[in-house]
Amino acid sequence: MPVIDELFAKLRVSGRKAFMPFITAGDPDLEFTHQLLRELDILGCTLLELGIPYSDPIADGPVIQASYTRALKRQIALSDILDMTSQVTSEIKAPLVTMVSYAIVYRFGLERYVAAAKQAGVVGAIIPDLLIEEAGPMAEICRREDFSLIQLVTPTTPRDRAVRIAESSSGFLYYVSVTGITGERQQLPSGLVDEVSWLREQTDLPICIGFGISQPEHVRMLAPVADGLIVGSALVRRVAEAQEKDRAAVMGNICELASELLNAM
Amino acid sequence: MGKSRVIAETGAGQHGVATATACARFGLPCVVYMGAEDVRRQAPNVYSMKLLGAEVRSVTSGSQTLRDAINEAMRDWMSSVQNTHYILGSVVGPHPFPRIVRDFQSVIGSEARQQCQERFGRLPNQVVACVGGGSNAAGMFYPFIKDQDVELIGVEAGGQSSRPGEHAAPLTFGRPGVLHGSYSFVMQDDDGQTSDVRSISAGLDYPGVGPEHSYWKDSGRVTYTQCPDKTALQAFDALARNEGILPALESSHAVAQAMTLAAEQPDDHIVLVCLSGRGDKDAAEITRLREEQEQHARD
Repeated sequence: MPVIDELFAKLRVSGRKAFMPFITAGDPDLEFTHQLLRELDILGCTLLELGIPYSDPIADGPVIQASYTRALKRQIALSDILDMTSQVTSEIKAPLVTMVSYAIVYRFGLERYVAAAKQAGVVGAIIPDLLIEEAGPMAEICRREDFSLIQLVTPTTPRDRAVRIAESSSGFLYYVSVTGITGERQQLPSGLVDEVSWLREQTDLPICIGFGISQPEHVRMLAPVADGLIVGSALVRRVAEAQEKDRAAVMGNICELASELLNAM
Repeated sequence: MGKSRVIAETGAGQHGVATATACARFGLPCVVYMGAEDVRRQAPNVYSMKLLGAEVRSVTSGSQTLRDAINEAMRDWMSSVQNTHYILGSVVGPHPFPRIVRDFQSVIGSEARQQCQERFGRLPNQVVACVGGGSNAAGMFYPFIKDQDVELIGVEAGGQSSRPGEHAAPLTFGRPGVLHGSYSFVMQDDDGQTSDVRSISAGLDYPGVGPEHSYWKDSGRVTYTQCPDKTALQAFDALARNEGILPALESSHAVAQAMTLAAEQPDDHIVLVCLSGRGDKDAAEITRLREEQEQHARD
């Protein structure tokens, strides 16, 4: 059984929800990322999401774009990221998934990517720009390899399409809370809870909600309807401060926000 | 459609001006995303867009060219899709954009084909068009695709050299990959990161190319080649001085290739060239580049 499936099965039995922080690999450098993943694991984060920097992240807002740009400026290579990941996954409890563009997966080779990621202890991939129409070969490889292929459903996804996406996904379904790109929002849309409830009736997959979540109130509102919550930009914005400020202080800052959100679950 | 707002991206500014014009005519608010570098080198089109009532948003991320303008327009659309229509300017991006753009652009190909038959009583021997994203070429070639005797030639931006980063010719130097929601030839590194590209012409300065061009390349129906900046500038001069036509720098790449091809052919050989844009927009930038060169030569 894939690791993520086991994790959510356990969570369901104990009535708990997953909290999943997102951070960029290599921002400001891989040592920082390595350390931060360990800290987030110690805090009790259920799953960790590692963003593989990409030159053209069209689904991402300014915070994550800037973070990817900082990482790529240092000429960070996929092999360096996977080396760091191999190390960190042997030290942490929480399973780790990558957010990765299909441009990268395709260039690397589908089979080769899944093999290399598994080798590095990664248990799944979120591929935001992989269309359902083109997802067949990747879904097949992931199924065969017990590697989760996490796909996205948005508020504008037609309902029949959402059902098809759920059918070719594994691990969990990533529900995008807003119509738009990643980034913190003051308010989340009002129809969100209903939409997720509808989706839940269509699939047995756990549903995790991401995009725009940055405050404890968001967490309190969404945790009851979801199986897990994903927080990215709010944390990555704090990582950006590691450019100038003292690293230990920045790390403390990030962990403070993460635990505040975690406690609101 | 029920949409009340229009967005577009533009490289050379031609598509931006066209979109702004249509929006002015129908009273729709219009936002055009344009790379900061292109805002600078295609200033006349920026003035036109603004005078037509469009808002031009200068994009300062990445290489500040067409690729980044497309990224920003797509991000806008992801947040605004409920009330906004995105008029993509090239045969790139996710389906069905490449098909929509090709079909609209093919008016020029159909008319050119018809006019050839009326004027010469036959089809041209060769058809030449420049290829950045490839919209004018797709529109020009498409009506000729079934005319197997007509040779189709696409000309990419050869830039300053064939070295990576110094040209914008993915069909010539790139390999298949994924960019902007389609699978096509693209300039990428081994990790799938999009490479920087370079061309004197803003409209050709793009690391990818429309997926149908990739198909035509692989099927052998269209031959793709590239033309360096310098040769395009020579063709610009030749057309300006001999014909009194200022071609766009983009189209100058096609003119250069057509001149080379025509020189090898008998007098009754017909070469159809797609003059996809006017060069007024480039006059200031060409003058600036020339002055820079002269300064360089003096130093």
